[in-house]
Amino acid sequence: MEEVKVGVFLSDCGGQIAKILDFEALTKFVKDVSGVVLVARGSEFWRGQGLQAIVDAVKSKKINRVVVAETIPKISEVAIAKAVEEAGLNPHLMEVVDLKNHCAWPHIDTPEEATEKAKAMLLAAIEKAKLLEPIGKAEFPAVKAVLVIGGGAAGMQAAEDLAEMGFKVYLVEKEPFLGGLAAKAVRFFPTDDCAICIQSPASLTTVTQTSRKCVYRSGLSEIPNLNVLTNTKIVKVEGSPGNFKVTVERKPRYVDEKKCVACDLCTSVCPVEVPDEYNAKLSKRKAIYVNKLLVYPPAYVIDAKACKFHECAKCFQVCPTKAVNLDQKPEHVTLNVGGIIVATGFREYDPSVIKEYHYGEYPDVITHLELARMLDAFGPTSGVPVKPSDGKPAKRIVFVQCVGSRDRRWNPYCSSICCMISLKHATMIKEAFPDADVTICYIDIRTTGREHEYYYERAREMGVKFVKGRPSEIIHDPATNTLVVEVEDELLRRLLELEADLVVLATAMVPSEDAKELAQILDIELDQDGFFKEYNAKLRPTETKRRGIFICGGAVFPKDVPTASLHAHSAAVKAAKFLMNGKIVKDLKVAVVNQDYCGNCQFCPVTCPYGAIILEPKGDGHFTAKVSELLCEGCGVCVGTCPVGAIELSHLKSSQISAQIKALLSVNGTSKPLVLVFSCSECGHAAVDSSGMAMMSYPANVRVLRVPCTGVIQVQHILEAFKAGAQGVMVVGCKPDGCHYEVGSQKAKQRVEMAKMLLQAYGIEPERLEMLNLVFIEGDKFAEAAKTMSEKVEKLGPLQLS
Amino acid sequence: MTGYALFLGCTIPARQPHYELAARKALTKLGIELVDMEGATCCAPPPIQSIDLETSLALAAYNICLAEEADLNILTLCTGCFESLTIANRILKGKRELREKINKILSNVGKEFKGTKEVRHYLQVLMDDVGVNRLKQNVVKPLNGLKVAAFPGCHLLRPSELLRLDDPERPRIFDMLIETVGAKSIPYKNKLRCCGGLLRGYADDVALAIARDKIANAYNAGADCISTLCPFCFLTLDLGQMLIKTAYKEEYNMPIIHYAELLSLSLGVAPKELALDFHKMKVDKVLEKIG
Amino acid sequence: MTEEKPLDFAREITGRLGGETITRCYQCGTCASACPVTKTTERYNPRQVIRLALLGQRNDVLKGDAIWLCASCYNCQERCPQKVEVADVIYALRNMAIRGGNIPAIYTEFAAALMNEGRLAPMSKFLEKKRAEYGLPPLKPANTEALKKILAATGFDKIMFRKEGAT
Ligand code: SF4
Ligand code: SF4
Ligand code: SF4
Ligand code: SF4
Ligand code: SF4
Repeated sequence: MEEVKVGVFLSDCGGQIAKILDFEALTKFVKDVSGVVLVARGSEFWRGQGLQAIVDAVKSKKINRVVVAETIPKISEVAIAKAVEEAGLNPHLMEVVDLKNHCAWPHIDTPEEATEKAKAMLLAAIEKAKLLEPIGKAEFPAVKAVLVIGGGAAGMQAAEDLAEMGFKVYLVEKEPFLGGLAAKAVRFFPTDDCAICIQSPASLTTVTQTSRKCVYRSGLSEIPNLNVLTNTKIVKVEGSPGNFKVTVERKPRYVDEKKCVACDLCTSVCPVEVPDEYNAKLSKRKAIYVNKLLVYPPAYVIDAKACKFHECAKCFQVCPTKAVNLDQKPEHVTLNVGGIIVATGFREYDPSVIKEYHYGEYPDVITHLELARMLDAFGPTSGVPVKPSDGKPAKRIVFVQCVGSRDRRWNPYCSSICCMISLKHATMIKEAFPDADVTICYIDIRTTGREHEYYYERAREMGVKFVKGRPSEIIHDPATNTLVVEVEDELLRRLLELEADLVVLATAMVPSEDAKELAQILDIELDQDGFFKEYNAKLRPTETKRRGIFICGGAVFPKDVPTASLHAHSAAVKAAKFLMNGKIVKDLKVAVVNQDYCGNCQFCPVTCPYGAIILEPKGDGHFTAKVSELLCEGCGVCVGTCPVGAIELSHLKSSQISAQIKALLSVNGTSKPLVLVFSCSECGHAAVDSSGMAMMSYPANVRVLRVPCTGVIQVQHILEAFKAGAQGVMVVGCKPDGCHYEVGSQKAKQRVEMAKMLLQAYGIEPERLEMLNLVFIEGDKFAEAAKTMSEKVEKLGPLQLS
Repeated sequence: MTGYALFLGCTIPARQPHYELAARKALTKLGIELVDMEGATCCAPPPIQSIDLETSLALAAYNICLAEEADLNILTLCTGCFESLTIANRILKGKRELREKINKILSNVGKEFKGTKEVRHYLQVLMDDVGVNRLKQNVVKPLNGLKVAAFPGCHLLRPSELLRLDDPERPRIFDMLIETVGAKSIPYKNKLRCCGGLLRGYADDVALAIARDKIANAYNAGADCISTLCPFCFLTLDLGQMLIKTAYKEEYNMPIIHYAELLSLSLGVAPKELALDFHKMKVDKVLEKIG
Repeated sequence: MTEEKPLDFAREITGRLGGETITRCYQCGTCASACPVTKTTERYNPRQVIRLALLGQRNDVLKGDAIWLCASCYNCQERCPQKVEVADVIYALRNMAIRGGNIPAIYTEFAAALMNEGRLAPMSKFLEKKRAEYGLPPLKPANTEALKKILAATGFDKIMFRKEGAT
């Protein structure tokens, strides 16, 4: 192996910290460390001349390990790594320490102590650097094709985006027609346009690019690369991000899409009538049918549950183009895609469980979707709200808000769009029937979107009545076939019995029925409400924990169409970004298993937050863990979990941790007992940074060792720190629910608890060990805790190691 | 033969022996063995809960301990007792800390709540132990389509999360048992609404107004009688009608009959064997109708 | 309007048996329209009691008449969308009111009956005779000795029978 030659570059940050740290002494100290062949001092090393000096030293082969004392390591690190790589050295053979924010600033009042601490920090960086090994890159194929699951507003949008960006797209819809829930909504808020209106694809010259078109006139399916598969469901997903093999099942349509001319002859002969789900079962349709007007694809379909097939075959006989094929069989198709977008939307909750409202029992208690179908001029009642019990027009209509939403018994969340739906429907009714008596019973009216409040205003202008109060019961008076809504008008503090012909429940919006099954097939998570879970709603919206799988629209949470579109665009961009190069290039900063030690205990596969570890048979009936280089995010949670130390990170080996522990504790320079802080590279380190930036002081006997995630820390490491001379140990990680690696800081907490028990067993005070969960803005808490720990261990007196 | 520790409570034995009499006769006929409990105290119903919930839990737990020691499940007639005891039983089974606290109190009398027994209302026993089919076979004198306004009472059903006896919004058990003995359970307005009984003594006027509503609703629906399961409901609706007569100048003469009495009659117990003179509202019309 | 920090009173309530869920209330009014008493009299509205309590109006709540008007029918509690245990909250408030000396006369009677006889409806000579006539077994006496010990251990006797206004 090549001899290790370390170059150390000491920046005094433009002289800022030279007044505090004695750079002469530091230079002298560093020079004497074995392996160091070059020490340079400058005012900055992450750009300009300073950086050039590093590059020159590397190029001239004078050094092959780089240690830089520079501020804000996260930024400078990137610049230096890039330059080093260009100079011909593996960019991982480098270590950066922040002498300003981790030493000079917080210890500004004790400059001598600070200098001694700086020595320890530099020594730790050098010792680690000496043990660093080059880390390579790996390349994985990325198929430039995307599967979009769900053909509603969001799915259609995402599919169109990607197809127009040049990706091959499969848009899969489980129903026989596109459109989803949105297509049943008659009109949209806040634009008041019709529900099936979508943007025209830019890639088609035959349609005006700037115009909007109905789904069925949009030419969606004519976009090159966009394949629409209706009546299709996902069966199996194999492969890995960038290269999935997805098996789908195409249910038979029994009508050839390419031959059907939509002549409607078949429906006139079909003898079977069933309730039409599209019209919320308010009307009937034949066993062979099409959703009138609002349809893509423009081809009929046979409802296999209702059809009598060969017993009848009337449609087959009458069809002029011989499009009917009663013998079609389900077909399995395998799609090879690089990414998957889930856009399965949401559905109306079945409010019959809320027994006091008697939905399903009193026919005149209906949901919004049912009302929407009535309000559709092409719908079952031609736009007139009627009482389903007797078909008479409804004159007195009461809306009940928050039915099954904001209700701990059913769905605790606010479904977020039902207030607007009620306002939209109430105004539609008032517009068409100004004499209708319309009342909305609400807890809060939520109109938070652009233009939404105007709907509320317009509704009041039109004479819609608003009662603040949630009804406790809906009662049916059989004598008059009238409904009575019992509600307290809270503002008047009066109990009302509102008589109604029709009561409309603003029912909760809940995850689609197949969400659970699909989540299982895709191996992605659902949240506590059953919606698909975003990796991080703020930072990584539309991503899931599994790379290459994205989610958008109502599948994530109920949304209006504008928001769903926005979300769909986001998912499309994410998928495109992931696949655009046709390959995925990755630094191999990953976990590596030592096959000889691994004892098939199964701890790491279940702990890895990214599902990156599988167990592979060894042949002798045993298993060993195997890490997927593609999926591993390099957090090290598995390292902390492994009971036999069989896994380590390529970018932070156990030996490197040990070397740093020893080095950081080898120089004290203060009169106080040493405290070692393990901090994660994310929020934990940021909190330490910010305490320094704000010059919040804490004693210089506190030393910080950075690890990728606190999840990497083993009980062993903590004990090692005590053995190496620490009198107190702190572990600083992200907030448990804000951990950048999902479970890392929770796992660390468990290990800290375990270590405390062990310490106790060894006769060591467990309060010498502490875990903190901090974020960037909590630098003050870090400084405070560091101070407290230092004082605490001082008071406890020297550690007695038996 | 199934045996139960019979928890009589305070009101039934000392105020409404007609309920106890009918229940004992009917249940014994149906093969339910009733073991009278030694030393049982008040179950600690709402009035005591209003004073101190912890005391109420301790008293209920004490009584359950007696059954645990006798290795018997508890059977109650009174719906109030059923509610107090069931709530305590379920809460204490579920919440360890509270159980420990209550057991500390009980240690003063050498008891420990273990959570090994169930509390059951006799309606449940009829449904589950006897069963509708066997009950039907035992009916020798079907009640002839008597129109009964069934009033299950609040504490049979609610709080449903703890009582879990029947669907609180659409109960069926009581109606089914009424139909099983040959009567008809008729619908009437606000059937599941409270009788107001617990307000007697603090706000008699309010209690009476609520009771009146209940009686009027049953009356308007054409009921021959209102059937109850709880001595408090009975008192509120039975005696209540005399008060209504004074306060509102209204006479309903609506017989209030405990289900146990209807059951006894249908099982062939002669009216004179029951203590029907304890009814303020005479039940003669009912007896006439069922012949 | 506020006589103390609203949260202090609310915390005191949530810290008591039965009162745990009060802060969940979002004032939807379901309880009020479900309540048979509210339908009957202006004197009582459970939503309002809870609102007053959450606003820290200790005196209005604990010294007032409203909390004694709940019929404990649990209809509100069944239907409350926030799973506020309304009826139990009312019990908790009554427990607090009684400790503050606001004890309606009827409750003193109940307490006395319990302490003396172990039952709320003491047996009379007349009933004893009647029972015998009907062939009912004599009523087994309550174990008042054990009962007294329990009441002493929970402090029930002191809660009920002490000087008014003391806390
Ligand atoms: S074969 Fe089926 S779809 Fe065709 S006409 Fe007959 S029942 Fe209708
Ligand atoms: S959007 Fe309105 S109706 Fe829907 S849950 Fe939220 S507050 Fe209730
Ligand atoms: S380092 Fe993290 S992502 Fe990689 S295998 Fe281990 S636990 Fe999984
Ligand atoms: S029903 Fe529940 S949430 Fe609504 S006002 Fe009453 S206690 Fe509050
Ligand atoms: S429990 Fe009390 S507050 Fe609730 S509905 Fe019944 S009487 Fe009203």
